[in-house]
Amino acid sequence: MLLEVENLAVTLGTGEHSVRAVDGVSFSLERGETFCLVGESGSGKSITALSIMRLLPRDALRACSGSIRFMGTGMGRAEDLLQAPEERMQQIRGGRIAMIFQEPMTSLNPVFTIGEQILETLRLHFPELGEGEARARVLAALREVRLPQPELRMHSHPHQLSGGQRQRVMIAMAIACQPDLLIADEPTTALDVTVQEGILKLMKDLQRRTGMGLLFITHDFGVVSHIADRIGVMQKGRLVEQGETRRVIRAPQHDYTRHLIEALPENLKRRRPPEPVASDAEPLIRLKDLEIHFPIRKGLLRREVDRVRAVDGVSLEIPRGSILALVGESGCGKTTLGRGILRLVEPTAGQVCFGDTDLLALDRRALRPMRRHLQIIFQDPMSSLNPRLSVAAILTEPMAVHGIGADREERIERAAALLERVQLPRDALWRYPHEFSGGQRQRIGIARALALSPEFIVCDEITSALDVSVQAEILQLLLALRREQGLTLLFITHNIGVVDYLADRTAVMKAGRIVELGETEQVINRPRHSYTQRLIAAVPRVDPD
Amino acid sequence: MTERRQGYWARVMAATFRRWGARLGLAWVAVLAFAGVFAPFLASSFPLLVLEDGEWSSPVLRYLTPADVVLPVAALAALVLWRLRRIPSQRRLLIFALLTSMTALLAWRFVEPPRIVVYEQYRQAAEAGRYQRVIWAPIPYSPQDYLRDRGDTGMQPPLSDPRDRHWFGTEENGADVLSRMIHASRIALAIGFIATGIALALGIVIGGLMGYFSGVADILGMRLVEIFEAVPTLFLLLTFVAFFGRSLYLMMVIIGITSWPGYARYVRAEFLRLRQQDFVQAAVAAGLPLPSILFRHMLPNGVGPVLVAASFGVAAAILAEATLSFLGLGLVGEPSWGEMLNQAVQSSSFNWWMAAFPGGAIFLTVFAYNLIGEALRDAIDPYLGKAA
Repeated sequence: MLLEVENLAVTLGTGEHSVRAVDGVSFSLERGETFCLVGESGSGKSITALSIMRLLPRDALRACSGSIRFMGTGMGRAEDLLQAPEERMQQIRGGRIAMIFQEPMTSLNPVFTIGEQILETLRLHFPELGEGEARARVLAALREVRLPQPELRMHSHPHQLSGGQRQRVMIAMAIACQPDLLIADEPTTALDVTVQEGILKLMKDLQRRTGMGLLFITHDFGVVSHIADRIGVMQKGRLVEQGETRRVIRAPQHDYTRHLIEALPENLKRRRPPEPVASDAEPLIRLKDLEIHFPIRKGLLRREVDRVRAVDGVSLEIPRGSILALVGESGCGKTTLGRGILRLVEPTAGQVCFGDTDLLALDRRALRPMRRHLQIIFQDPMSSLNPRLSVAAILTEPMAVHGIGADREERIERAAALLERVQLPRDALWRYPHEFSGGQRQRIGIARALALSPEFIVCDEITSALDVSVQAEILQLLLALRREQGLTLLFITHNIGVVDYLADRTAVMKAGRIVELGETEQVINRPRHSYTQRLIAAVPRVDPD
Repeated sequence: MTERRQGYWARVMAATFRRWGARLGLAWVAVLAFAGVFAPFLASSFPLLVLEDGEWSSPVLRYLTPADVVLPVAALAALVLWRLRRIPSQRRLLIFALLTSMTALLAWRFVEPPRIVVYEQYRQAAEAGRYQRVIWAPIPYSPQDYLRDRGDTGMQPPLSDPRDRHWFGTEENGADVLSRMIHASRIALAIGFIATGIALALGIVIGGLMGYFSGVADILGMRLVEIFEAVPTLFLLLTFVAFFGRSLYLMMVIIGITSWPGYARYVRAEFLRLRQQDFVQAAVAAGLPLPSILFRHMLPNGVGPVLVAASFGVAAAILAEATLSFLGLGLVGEPSWGEMLNQAVQSSSFNWWMAAFPGGAIFLTVFAYNLIGEALRDAIDPYLGKAA
């Protein structure tokens, strides 16, 4: 037994605002084993991890109950980490138990080189190591995580590395002290799938060689089924089910687990065969050699020295009433392309035709009446709604500007109908955005886009910030809306499962260019371009067999 | 639940005034505002009511200036409209503006105080026993009543003259200090609010345009900001006073147009951040007109830090006026706290009451605005994270 958590309970906050974040959680972890905590946001999985490290705020720690017994190498008997004195915890933290976090940029100190940062943790836990020996161990750790040219990279600052490389550095820092237990809190969530694949492989490999225990926290069932030996499903602070990975995924016992697994896009009821969208339907949106370049200016006169080619010659057509998915890794220019079509970012060259009008040829005044036909829904439901305006104001102001509805009463009535359409209660009209959950806000965002009865909507990663069950509801809502109103959608995403469920056709984007475009079924199952093949292969699927 | 329906500002205000510091600050500002608005009824040499030959009359009303009439009417209107919650706030604002401007128009047209004022006439008449009943103001001395009927009085410490009760003593010409302080609070408040208002308006418009359009507008705007930041306010004030004479309005304008760059910087930074926010992009995508995007969607989300700076700005403007008056370049005849401070050290002896009371008032006022600004900043901070 390496770690045994028994009846752990954590209360956050005080008085009437207190929340029972973790409520009677028990599990155990052996050496060389991977235990995955899965759950939606707010289910208490991160708090569980933090309380093992005792990294919670002081008053929350005082309110902890239960026991966390840990037995590392060189420890005669198991110790209860909740009772251990702070000095003891400092030895264990980093030395015997290491942790890596979701966001590798903010977990590294930007003013020190990565070599110095790893060296510092090493010195802290192994003060007896000589200078040369410590350096050698840092190099070995960096080599272990397969960072290219570790001798050179040691002297790099965090901003000089890519996201995946930074996460490798974090792992190197964690394993440099050869811990018995590694806690990984959503370590690949901020990374692209191809990078994620490498990191997961690396962690699995390291674990096999060092025999450390791995407590892995994630919300992604695809990742879980790849890496976990056993999993625990958390809901509202409770561990509702735990067991062998294969068993839990194949035959979930608890209703909540079943609900979660059914909500995965690959398990949602197929709507295929698709309603026939006549492939010869005239295209609603036609892009021709669209270019969006951002100048890089330097010096006193701000001369243009180079350009970032965010979108570099994209031509495609979206037939009326169809859903085109645009997939690609971060930085490939898919969001810029979506915004360029709406002229939220000014394209530098090319054509964007909506029906017969070239949007790029219009001046601002002529563009404004066109805007009602093209709308956008954003990724982050937090920042996409004006926090100072009531939902009624958010929905009715665009209507008033475009002359929809005769008077205020009629517009309010329309807004109420829209809310009902996106399955929100009518009294939501008079509330403010902060009173809603993420999924509800995303529904308001959809209602806002629908307020102008547009023909074309750009959906920019609209489900990425949402939990799977909420994502499933939003996707079903979109499909229903498409059917009722004949909407045409450009669906930007990095989630292949969602693409497979939703899209008629799929375009794959890389470095500003479309590398492959075809029927979704063909692109996903028989990709032609080598990049698409790599991308699809890297996607962690539930039940790999 | 009422709390759920509260808007953002209602929540910020509730969080601000939950703190004792802010409450005390607000209480002091309210006292000042009350004193300023009702000054002629609080401190005046003219009785509020007299009964002469069986007839009641009110001499104080005869000597009111137009400003003396407009301020109480506006204050009462504001109070009544504030309590009337059923009317939407925009309409309330409109009613208030209409009412105030109408009163102002009428007051300046019809209210005309006598040119020659003899302050001691009622006091002497009352002492001669001509009135059956007299109701005096709480402080029965006007700020410019130099007590000529009492002979050569000059500076007197508090409560030293058995005939006249001067709570805070008298100044060099023999006028009552408390009365002058009450009337001076009007100037202190006006200069603080109007000068800061001018600075805010300029700063928000220029900073907003800089932030929204960036590029060339930003470069030009920043140069303008740097130019104005380099102008020393006090010396500009001294120069203008020397050339154009002493005028309260000139002072407000000069303090206003030299202190906007700070606000412009804040607004610019906020707008640069907000421009990238999705809800602003959504507003653009919905084809909303530019004024709506700037002032309805961006400004309310970026105005928080500016308001905090403004509450410190009010304090700074009050200090600037006090400094100028202390240097002897303030208004002539009109009472002002700084001018009274000046008298504390002017004569050969140190007159403690001339230093303690006006100095204390300046200190408390600046302190009050700082307390409010501090609490406002703390209240806005957590909400920025939660709501935005």
